[in-house]
Amino acid sequence: MIRVALTMLRGDSSKFIGLVVGIAFASFLVAFASAFFAGFMTRGFSLISENPEADVWVMDPAVQSVEQTVNLPSSALSRVRSVAGVVWAAPMALGKADARFANGSIQSFDVIGVDDITLAGAPAASATVTEGLRLPQAAIVDAGGTEGKLQTPVSTADQWPQDGPHLDAPTRELRAGDELLLNNHRVRIVGHSHTLPRFPPRPLLYMSLANADRILPPGRHRITFVLVSAAKGVDPQNLAQRIHDQTGLRARSTEDFKTDTVRWYLVNSEDVGDMGAMMSLAASVGFGVTAVMLFMFTTDHLRQYAVIKAMGATTRQIVLMVFAQASAVAVLGTGIGMGVCVVVGTIAARGGYPFRLMWFAPAAGGLMVAIISVLAALISVRPAVRLEPGVVFSSR
Amino acid sequence: MSPVAVACRGVEKTFGTGAAATQALRGIDLDVAYGELLMLVGPSGSGKTTLVSVIAALLPQDRGDCLVLGQDLRAMGKKDRALFRGRSMGFVFQAFNLLPALDATENVSLPLIIAGQRRRDAQKVAADLLDLVGLGGRAHARPRELSGGQQQRVAIARALVHKPKLILCDEPTSNLDHDSGQAIMDLLIHTARAPDRAVVVVTHDPRIFGFADRLARIEDGRIVRTDSPRPAPAPGGQA
Repeated sequence: MIRVALTMLRGDSSKFIGLVVGIAFASFLVAFASAFFAGFMTRGFSLISENPEADVWVMDPAVQSVEQTVNLPSSALSRVRSVAGVVWAAPMALGKADARFANGSIQSFDVIGVDDITLAGAPAASATVTEGLRLPQAAIVDAGGTEGKLQTPVSTADQWPQDGPHLDAPTRELRAGDELLLNNHRVRIVGHSHTLPRFPPRPLLYMSLANADRILPPGRHRITFVLVSAAKGVDPQNLAQRIHDQTGLRARSTEDFKTDTVRWYLVNSEDVGDMGAMMSLAASVGFGVTAVMLFMFTTDHLRQYAVIKAMGATTRQIVLMVFAQASAVAVLGTGIGMGVCVVVGTIAARGGYPFRLMWFAPAAGGLMVAIISVLAALISVRPAVRLEPGVVFSSR
Repeated sequence: MSPVAVACRGVEKTFGTGAAATQALRGIDLDVAYGELLMLVGPSGSGKTTLVSVIAALLPQDRGDCLVLGQDLRAMGKKDRALFRGRSMGFVFQAFNLLPALDATENVSLPLIIAGQRRRDAQKVAADLLDLVGLGGRAHARPRELSGGQQQRVAIARALVHKPKLILCDEPTSNLDHDSGQAIMDLLIHTARAPDRAVVVVTHDPRIFGFADRLARIEDGRIVRTDSPRPAPAPGGQA
């Protein structure tokens, strides 16, 4: 009976294509939104990802993610270093500052202060550029996933003008030798880095901790995180627990801190709601299209179902046929939708968009399609089940 | 085996309620013997189709008894009636009612598939039946690729494929020209009639009355006359 049902389905090519396209569209949207969301979340912990040499991150007990910048007293560094199993520990400072470009325009930056001595936490760049961080007022600039946020005027006549901002002046991207003004401190750009894009996107300024301390607004404490490398053979989670036990600070292994950060975004970010709305919309569209098409398919074929019932098919067989049809379009549509998702996602990722296809994206798409298909089949099977097979006789 | 395939006594059926009620059957008494081809004839709206629907276990009667192939239809549940139909009855419809997506072999094998037979076995039996009705060369044609007469041949093969004891035909020649209609009735006589099988044909096409063993004339929900247009076949005989 399943083969008969599928042959009936294929026989009505326009509705068959409509059903498959509807399901494919729904699964594509759900999977794509999920993968996009995963991409955003991955970008949310870019700071952790780009410091693979750190096995454990130590922070204020209240901090749950890299988004939170509650600073630690300087003594935290030496307390962490005294814990057995710690090979090295380096401070990292995070802060925000509005920078004035040479033409007078303003742009907010995330300032990342790295260890003055080891430069642990500095972005991947040429040795010359990285070493340049040791210079006074030096900084490495990074787009951080933004576009067009690092524009400085081309002409010297438009730089640091005395007659007010030259906001309409032609611009070019910042490069080594350019200067910015942060909190009335001149900062000299020593180079560009291309670290992982951030979520939310924002330009970054890497500088030594000493420079950051001078440039950022004064505060009682400066260190936001202590980056820790574990001794060989020491499990990072165990070391994190030991650091917590001995210092009272929050210490998390790299993987745990990534998870914490994602969880924090899920709870605190409004973008999660937007993504949920997008997925709900996708599911609604998919359900609407699929339910209507499957219902139309079933009602258009009621006479055929009546013939089959007249010839002895039981209600169970009719239900099986409708569900077989729904399942077939679900499987086919999901496959196509996922395939399109991978292709479009790969193109999007190459274009710099935050697309990351993790296991749960196809699972979410598949689950959504399964729910949609079952609901559509339940709605569609009703007229076929309630159908009086006597309609096969012409005059009734 | 019961001597009659169908035995209806005092069968009544009403559609609708109150002022809109229409009494379609008003106490039908009817017997159809094994080996017999009975034609139910009468004008439109006389109750022919309602009666054949009751006999086919597609429609429950309101009152009266109807024993079909020895089974009391009123005592059967919906599922049992469906299984009974699938096992014991074959149908030929005015509009052929072939499934357009299936080819001739698949259409013919459908009753066997519904009964749970393996597809390959069912299609082999179906192919033999198509040979019998002269369509062996069109086994893989879809209904739209067949003429009306050919489609009705496929429908007859489908009605016979599971060797039912009762075949019910609803206006089998109405959509066919005279020659095709005669050919279909010839085919029905030669393939469907058997000593252990009854055939009931609903029609108002007088051109095919001569194929019947007996004509039951129905008017206003009552059988008003039963007569034989030609000598009845010998008991247990085959045409």
